[in-house]
Amino acid sequence: MNNQAFSLAWRLFRHETKRGELTIILLAIILSVASVLSLSLFSERLETALTEKSAEFIAADRVLESGKPVDLAWIEKAKEMGLNTAHQTYARSMVFANEQMDLVSLRAAGQGYPLKGTLKTADEPFKTGTATNRLPNEGEAWIESQLFQTLGVVLGDSIEVGDQVFSVTKVLTEVPDAGFSVFGGDPKVLIRKADLAATNVEGPGSRIDYSYFFTGDRGDLESFYDWLEPQLDKEIHDWDSIEDDESAIGRSVSRAGQYFLLASLLAIVLAAVSIAVAAQRYSQRHYDPVAIMKTLGAPKSMVQQIYLLQILFITTLGIVIGTILGYAIQQVVVMAVADRVDVSIDAWHWKPLIIAIFTGSICAILFSLYPLMKLFSVSPLRVLRRDLGANLSSRMLQFIASGGAIFLLMWAYSQNLKISAILFVSGITLVTALLFVTFGLIRVGRKFAQGKMGPWQLAWARISRRAMDNSVQLISFAVTIMLLLVVLVMRNDMVQQWQNQLPEGTPNYFLVNISHSQQPNLQAHFLEREVNVEKFYPVVRGRFVAVNDEKVRTSVSKEDPDERSNGRNGLGREANLTWSTELQKGSEIVAGHWFEEGITLTEAQRPFEVSIEKGIAERLRLELGDMLTFNIGSEIVNLKVTSVRDVNWQSMQPNFFFVIEPRALQNYIPTYISSFNLPGDRKSDITALMRPFANVTLIDVDARINQLRNIVDQVSVAVEFILVLVLAAGALVLIAQVQASMDERQEELAILRTLGAKGRLIRSSVVYEFIIIGVVAGVMAAASNEFSLYLLQTQVFQMPAGMHWEYWGIAPVVGAVVVGCLGAIGCWRLLSLNTSHLLRKMV
Amino acid sequence: MTPKVMIKTNKISKTVHTSQGKLQILKPISFDVKAGESVAIIGASGSGKSTLLSLLAGLDEVSEGQIALDSEAMEAMDEEQRAQLRGAKVGFIFQSFMLVQSLTAIENIMLPAEIAGHSDAKQRAERILALVGLEHRATHYPNQLSGGEQQRVAIARAFISEPKILFADEPTGNLDAANSEKIEKLLFELNQNSNTTLVLVTHDQGLADQCQRQLHMQAGELTEVFPESVIEKVS
Repeated sequence: MNNQAFSLAWRLFRHETKRGELTIILLAIILSVASVLSLSLFSERLETALTEKSAEFIAADRVLESGKPVDLAWIEKAKEMGLNTAHQTYARSMVFANEQMDLVSLRAAGQGYPLKGTLKTADEPFKTGTATNRLPNEGEAWIESQLFQTLGVVLGDSIEVGDQVFSVTKVLTEVPDAGFSVFGGDPKVLIRKADLAATNVEGPGSRIDYSYFFTGDRGDLESFYDWLEPQLDKEIHDWDSIEDDESAIGRSVSRAGQYFLLASLLAIVLAAVSIAVAAQRYSQRHYDPVAIMKTLGAPKSMVQQIYLLQILFITTLGIVIGTILGYAIQQVVVMAVADRVDVSIDAWHWKPLIIAIFTGSICAILFSLYPLMKLFSVSPLRVLRRDLGANLSSRMLQFIASGGAIFLLMWAYSQNLKISAILFVSGITLVTALLFVTFGLIRVGRKFAQGKMGPWQLAWARISRRAMDNSVQLISFAVTIMLLLVVLVMRNDMVQQWQNQLPEGTPNYFLVNISHSQQPNLQAHFLEREVNVEKFYPVVRGRFVAVNDEKVRTSVSKEDPDERSNGRNGLGREANLTWSTELQKGSEIVAGHWFEEGITLTEAQRPFEVSIEKGIAERLRLELGDMLTFNIGSEIVNLKVTSVRDVNWQSMQPNFFFVIEPRALQNYIPTYISSFNLPGDRKSDITALMRPFANVTLIDVDARINQLRNIVDQVSVAVEFILVLVLAAGALVLIAQVQASMDERQEELAILRTLGAKGRLIRSSVVYEFIIIGVVAGVMAAASNEFSLYLLQTQVFQMPAGMHWEYWGIAPVVGAVVVGCLGAIGCWRLLSLNTSHLLRKMV
Repeated sequence: MTPKVMIKTNKISKTVHTSQGKLQILKPISFDVKAGESVAIIGASGSGKSTLLSLLAGLDEVSEGQIALDSEAMEAMDEEQRAQLRGAKVGFIFQSFMLVQSLTAIENIMLPAEIAGHSDAKQRAERILALVGLEHRATHYPNQLSGGEQQRVAIARAFISEPKILFADEPTGNLDAANSEKIEKLLFELNQNSNTTLVLVTHDQGLADQCQRQLHMQAGELTEVFPESVIEKVS
């Protein structure tokens, strides 16, 4: 490093900073670092907090699920690594009391359970529970409300589970890891783990699952998993976190995470665009000093050192200020959101800081590279011929370098090739289209610029003359507007979809086991009390026994572990079979065809048909055309798979793995399942509603729905704050762009003023020029927005895609108003200077 | 003793490529300038005088012919070597002053000395700033100075490295009459005191008359030389 170069670079940097000549590029770097840091840090902290909150739904940060007890050394290792652990064993068992019996989901919990979330209990069935931090004592059982009904017990009574008698001491109203499937589980009975052995339910033929819960630092959890993974058998072990959870919560959190990632990526692109614009302006403003230095004998290497050092100084200063500002912005947002999002958001993360510094540095270096290369190529002859610019001119090289840099940054940050590629391809499409539009504008401009010289003619003439310069500006405006649209529309669509999952009036109680004869009475009884009962679904219970005459395993036996690898898995329990001629709302046929009504009843020779759910088809390796055998009552029924359905399990409606054509089950007497919504303030009406129907089981999912709604609301609020941050960053980028372009117009304004043009004419012409650019940028942004949204929604967010016509109107209007206003403000600032000052600024 | 030839040209010409084809903007010219001489290149706008100056100063490459500055042949040099030669032997003064706007007056003056690696750049600059009478304006930026003051800073910058040759392009072109007179006086004083060879481009006959010799340019050709007695007629 040349000492002279360093001292000159430092001196230039000091003076230019003091004189405000580095303001634009410095602001661009500050903006990029501040927006990336604030967005990444906020989203990281929020995501962690949401994951933390959501972790309550699996009762831990991570869960190891296993079909057989795991080696205790694994648990010891986890403790050694600083993790908290707990354990729970699940068994399906019959319980008996008062000569009644029911199949229950038995949970034997060990000390420490639940590691996340709380258990809730009540002293009366169907009452709101309160949180407790203890477990049942040995010999005690806590049971769910519906069991009090089916077994005819009250608190203090005894129930038999296997060989052991338990005293019922509490109503179990909520366990954190209950899951969201209404019909996925039988009523729950919670006992102490120490009591499990005495029940003898872990005998041959029983289905037992073991869950091991872990909480701790993310790093410790990851280290433990790295150690554990090679020892896991994928057939029987499953390592879960809330992000892997396919429930509504899991999907919401995972989708919000993707949205935060998208927003941060877009912030990076915005930062890159603003730095690119600023670097171009910086380069152009330094053509003269470079020509002077070269004339005075400075070798090219010295000039390169001086300006690379300058960029280094500016970048460093920008990163320092950007980091402080980004942290401050983020802290303000955290304080603002604190009372709306019920989660702790105090955690500090280094990753966003590293990402922000990396982004600022890479953007500053890569986006300055081409303008700097142009700067270095300035000929010393410029001292005599001021019209000479840089010798290097390759817009293609510029686009390739800038595009490549943006793509690499997005990819490096997201580690997600798909999301990066979608945004990048949309960007390239937009840029290509804009280049064509620019050439179109030149032609249009020439036509409109003719005639009496008014503000519109001046505006069109300037657009036509400065078409190539405007193309860069037009692209940056359009890209900025497009990115803002993508973030805005994604947020709207996503929140809308979440809200649609749980509209007002979503059923919060389910009725199971309604007999055929009770159905009309029940409906009338509920209507009398102004409670609307939803559709009745007929159900028969059947055991799935064979596929294509090959028997399936109906249980998992710990006595015969080899059985796991032989034969096909069964359901492990009886299935609820329904029949219908109508495809359920929210379901979609993904293979085969739905039953053809009418024909089915007449063709006696044809095999009975069944439609199966996609997930169960994959799990049980079932295909179209397979013959399934069910044992219903004492009869064997064969069914041919004719369709596979994608079922929306988040719909909070009764959903079924198997839907059978009505002809097959016409001789069976079904029971019915239905659901209804009862507002929270009418909870006390439950007893009166259910009194005449003692045999009907009531399942209360109100608490589940409230939990779900709560988390979706919080995620929505978080997403809105992210949107506000990105919009703010986008607005600043637009201001920087207009500011930069205003300097380029300064010379022309000075000449027009000198020649006596009225300020009003000049101002109007500049505003009209910006309005035209804003409208074109808005239209292009709306088109590109549709393209990228389609790809993002179908390929990344797994959401239904659609056109957003309203933005085709909004984007050009907003583009015209915002860009036009910013242009007017910039122009007003220039025109407020007197002509001689304006001319001196040009020198 | 015959003075040394400081600038030697041999049939130098410049051709540029335009959309209409090749255009010769400077026809073959040969002349010499001796050490310590002052030479004015005069002519109307577009006559090729600035092009000639750019070739003599090594700011541009000749299309044909040879130029030597202080016996160093420039036609074989690349841009880097020509920059080194300029840094070591040449000073410049321009019509539009060409000061670095973000450096103060004294820092602008120090610039060539710093580029050349002189460790006493600041002392030299202070000395020469006093010579041009601007020591009280040392820390002012160019836009805080009048046109005359800016040109005095440019002159001080041109002399700081004690160049053997000084090229001036319309040095008084942007100044009023009073300031022009002061600048001319300063320029010739410094030139005489430091025995620098001066080549200046002007369309101001008064300024040209103060030089020992004049080269008249018209449409890219050297048409007349004054006084005829002391120059070799162009072949």
